[in-house]
Amino acid sequence: MTKIIVTTSGKGGVGKTTTSASFSTGLAARGKKVAVIDFDVGLRNLDLIMGCERRVVFDFVNVLQGEANLRQALIRDKTYENLHILAASQTRDKDALTLEGVEKVLNDLVAEGFDYIICDSPAGIEKGAHHAMYFADEALIVTNPEVSSVRDSDRVLGLLQAKTRNAEKGIKVKEHLVLTRYNPERVEKGEMLSVKDVQDILAIPLLGIIPESPSVLTSSNSGVPVIADAMSEAGQAYTDLVARFLGEDKPHRFMTYEKKGFFSKLFGG
Amino acid sequence: MARTTAALELKGRMLSATRIRIVDADPAAIDAHLQELRRQMPQALKGMVAVLESEAAIDLSSLLVSLRAAGIQPVGVVDGPLAAAAASNGLAILPKDNRVRAEQPLPAAAAPVAPAPAARRPTRVITEPVRSGQQIYAEDADLVVLSAVSPGAEVIADGCVHVYGPLRGRALAGARGDEAARIFARRFEAELVAISGVYAVADQLKSAKSGEATQILLHQGKLVIEPLN
Repeated sequence: MTKIIVTTSGKGGVGKTTTSASFSTGLAARGKKVAVIDFDVGLRNLDLIMGCERRVVFDFVNVLQGEANLRQALIRDKTYENLHILAASQTRDKDALTLEGVEKVLNDLVAEGFDYIICDSPAGIEKGAHHAMYFADEALIVTNPEVSSVRDSDRVLGLLQAKTRNAEKGIKVKEHLVLTRYNPERVEKGEMLSVKDVQDILAIPLLGIIPESPSVLTSSNSGVPVIADAMSEAGQAYTDLVARFLGEDKPHRFMTYEKKGFFSKLFGG
Repeated sequence: MARTTAALELKGRMLSATRIRIVDADPAAIDAHLQELRRQMPQALKGMVAVLESEAAIDLSSLLVSLRAAGIQPVGVVDGPLAAAAASNGLAILPKDNRVRAEQPLPAAAAPVAPAPAARRPTRVITEPVRSGQQIYAEDADLVVLSAVSPGAEVIADGCVHVYGPLRGRALAGARGDEAARIFARRFEAELVAISGVYAVADQLKSAKSGEATQILLHQGKLVIEPLN
């Protein structure tokens, strides 16, 4: 059974594409056959973060419009041959997508025997986001610990349970909270919402907390998903998140701030 | 000297109006139909608040004369060919709704307008969270929400509103004028509350203890906020 999962948030710049890249890479590392689709037509980002932008020949819109077949357009990941990327078009806009077209591509991927299809949603709640979420069985709600991001996620959760294929059939879309750019030190100072605050508002199960980490930016810039950086806290957090998604019991980490003691300050430890 | 009372008081009220769609633009046919309706249900037509809708351009002034003669009070038109004439006749222009038109043409639309509270329907119970941007309306009924009402969400009932999760959005009870309706919240953090059109926003609700069990009721035209123990 293929599972279709949308990565969505409402607000932009919270880490949707970073999460899609690391989540799909993590599932592939566990031996799953994974396709990840960039729905942000016009702004192509996923292929950059996944380091395959130089190998894009055909894109999602080419497939939708019958200019290329799906196999031609799927780009195989360098590290995991069971991970495939369908890039967004940079020359078209979001009007190039239709629900019928998206459905056909997803059905073709299901027929190819993929275990997971990850739909990387654009920001906003307009057509592009609607297309990305419409066929989803499950959703990763990416949220930053700040009020406006949480509010937008709340709005998106409402749409997920009303304006999707499953919702129309009376089936609940399974929700997972991914709290990104979490900075326990700033939470402690009261500058950021805590995990508890966010959960209190959104009331959905927490899949993972990704700590704010400079390695996210360096990884993005070098075209390697941060999950591949086993030394970084963000990378470890994504590895835990994937394990939890697959049903393993992993306690949440990176939630508390440890004050550096005198000696660690002195010796830079 | 500073005035102590405001000159205007604004109240949000629900108003039921009948949509009259012009199917046949022939004035003689319209007059004949109005005569027929007047004979069948003179009470229903008397004072009926109506919004007009037409795909064809027709002479609005003479139509208004016919409608008013039948006792109907046209208050506005749906945006379209009638819009220009409506402006000069002092009528409101209302946006088209995107819903698939479920109403029948004139005869069925002329359901009796009942300003008095109708018989209550069964309570509407919502078990899922009401998210930002969502609106839940319990028509002629009480509304019970078992989960949270998020900021930016709206829960509305013609009867009472009960919220067992945190109430962080807007709650409107007695939406059609029932002044005995109340709002009950187990964790009160609302943005706005209203009973029968009398409303207060968060800034005016300082007497309510945030996060506490609270009830809101209307007493002599004023909102009263009481803790629930």
